[in-house]
Amino acid sequence: MVLKTILAAGACKIARRVLHLTGRGGTTVPGRIAMAIDRDVLTASARGMHIVLVTGTNGKTTTSRMIEKGLSLAGEACLLNRSGANLLPGITAEMACNLSRMGKPRADWAVVECDEGALHLVTARIKPDVIIVTNLFRDQLDRYGEVMHTREEIREGIRLSPESLLCLNADCPLTATAAEGLSNPVLYYGLDVPAGEQGERELSDARYCMSCGGELVYDAYTYAHLGAWRCPSCGRRRPRPDVAVIELPESQGSRTFHVTMRLGEQEHKARVGLPAIYNLYNALAAVCVGKALGMPEKPFLDAVASAEAAFGRMESFTVGKCEIQVILVKNPAGCSQAMAYIAGTDRAYGVAFCLNDKIADGTDISWIWDADTEKIVCDSKRRSLWAAGTRAEDMQLRLKYAGAREDEIHLERDYGRLLEDMANKEERVFILPNYTAMLEIRQVLAKKTGGEAFWKG
Amino acid sequence: MTIRICHLYPDALNLYGDRGNVLCMQKRLLWRGIRCEVDSLKIGETKSLSGYDIFFMGGGQDFEQEVLLRDLGSQNGQSIRTAIEDGKTFLCICGGYQILGTHYETKEGRRCGFLGAIDLYTTGGDKRLIGNYAYRLEEPSGTETVVGFENHSGRTYLGKGVKPLGHVLKGFGNNGKDGTEGVRYKNVFGTYSHGPVLPKNPVLCDRILSTAIHHKYGEEELLPLEDAFETAAHAKMLHRICKS
Repeated sequence: MVLKTILAAGACKIARRVLHLTGRGGTTVPGRIAMAIDRDVLTASARGMHIVLVTGTNGKTTTSRMIEKGLSLAGEACLLNRSGANLLPGITAEMACNLSRMGKPRADWAVVECDEGALHLVTARIKPDVIIVTNLFRDQLDRYGEVMHTREEIREGIRLSPESLLCLNADCPLTATAAEGLSNPVLYYGLDVPAGEQGERELSDARYCMSCGGELVYDAYTYAHLGAWRCPSCGRRRPRPDVAVIELPESQGSRTFHVTMRLGEQEHKARVGLPAIYNLYNALAAVCVGKALGMPEKPFLDAVASAEAAFGRMESFTVGKCEIQVILVKNPAGCSQAMAYIAGTDRAYGVAFCLNDKIADGTDISWIWDADTEKIVCDSKRRSLWAAGTRAEDMQLRLKYAGAREDEIHLERDYGRLLEDMANKEERVFILPNYTAMLEIRQVLAKKTGGEAFWKG
Repeated sequence: MTIRICHLYPDALNLYGDRGNVLCMQKRLLWRGIRCEVDSLKIGETKSLSGYDIFFMGGGQDFEQEVLLRDLGSQNGQSIRTAIEDGKTFLCICGGYQILGTHYETKEGRRCGFLGAIDLYTTGGDKRLIGNYAYRLEEPSGTETVVGFENHSGRTYLGKGVKPLGHVLKGFGNNGKDGTEGVRYKNVFGTYSHGPVLPKNPVLCDRILSTAIHHKYGEEELLPLEDAFETAAHAKMLHRICKS
């Protein structure tokens, strides 16, 4: 180990502690300091480690947590960039702080959640054993341009790590074909059965074949543009998954899934500890990683069964007599899915939409018009509606055009007052924040509930 | 009274919030007791466009626009040009706006022929022009401000004598240089503003609706609507943009 690396890691740890003591959770600065001292600190810190990298538009955090749990249950010491710092400096900080004073990694394994745009920067420095691409949706367009551009960036990232085994979502045509022409070995995962609403999508991020431009045909849908896709003009089609859900009973509890999974040719009864179809995909990805690593399936099946809500993703709280569930929404696909889940619950409910437009959220919020907000606004079980966040006015406008009366929509800028308002409600309340709004709400919620009075979904 | 809206190529041009514009026109007609029918023309379809009053064309990704260009070479391209010359009302945004021009020239110098309905063209640029922006409408479109979000790498230049929709107050507009934003030709409204543009700019939406109603029925008085939410969202964003 080079002295420079040990110094860089030391400086990174000190910077992190100082920031922590001064009440700031900064993850970028320590990583930058480490990189300034040793340009190759990430490469050096990862030496000898096994790395599983998770990228894609939606589901990165939840999938990463499931994989980390699976590896831990399999008896491996495992690191995870938990804080959601998934750009190069954040990942660097996490890995550098893992080094002992002698410069040896303390954990043998790392699960790295990696932003799609940062993938090529990371794989230029470390070569993961496995790379998972969860899915591709339009997301934060102002930062990256377009879905196709993001897909190219991911391909570039994979190209830099030709030995990595890929786990790709078979049901997402943009993802399943993302490694075409590259030499990496691939495992696919997907749903062999339809789920949710069928019928042609009005909006789709993947209407045309990536290779020939022909219009894709779907024999079944699962959600958004995911499903059993094929291209009649060139013959490309959804690859047969190596890990699949083959049975999905129609009536499911609101908090868990009971399904049958196929791993290779073997069938297993499986439980997924989180609701909504997209979590089923996250679970499949995690189980697929276990298979890719050649590990026994049990720890990974156990990990998805006991999966807990990640930071702001389906977390539940009680405030006063009100049961509150927080679901992070960042893009139209995720938001429509969350709303489909809410509309599918069986009791009266209220919904608060908290929309910020800070850099981390994407400053373009026009995607709210692509989400199926009508599904909630026009649902007979829907009661209160709130709009909050730096773009609350745009949100209340969206709710109005979705069919709500102006006097039904409450604009509330102060999260403390918002929660007080909710505390008096008879109905269950869902809070749908985007990223920085989620961080703000969580802080207020933690204060209100003493930081512990929440139970896990 | 019935206004028929045709959403052109919703399958390819629907990049960000575009359907919010159609929803906005539809609701603002319905709230005034005017019937509104919404239909669409998809890639590969051919149908007569003569029965529609308002055409909407949104933005798309480069990849999807390539698929679309093939279709515009067919009868559909001619039908769209005819509808424009006949004085039908058009709202075209971003990619949909660029397509009205004669051509697009990529950074590498490759030239793609476009519809050629209006004398304007677009060239590819290195830096994407991104952000909240504001412009002031110019006659004959009114004099109000419009707020929106722009995100384009193309730079659009209007031909001699071709009127812009407005002039930029803050932001980039057509090309970041000449201060123009969008195009106004016959009854065509072209702009780079997505956001979507209409819900937060009810004056512009009503101008488009009244243009179509006037063309069809010879009258254009629209009943006023309670626009408290619309005005609040507009004012908030305008304030932020001008402050920055």
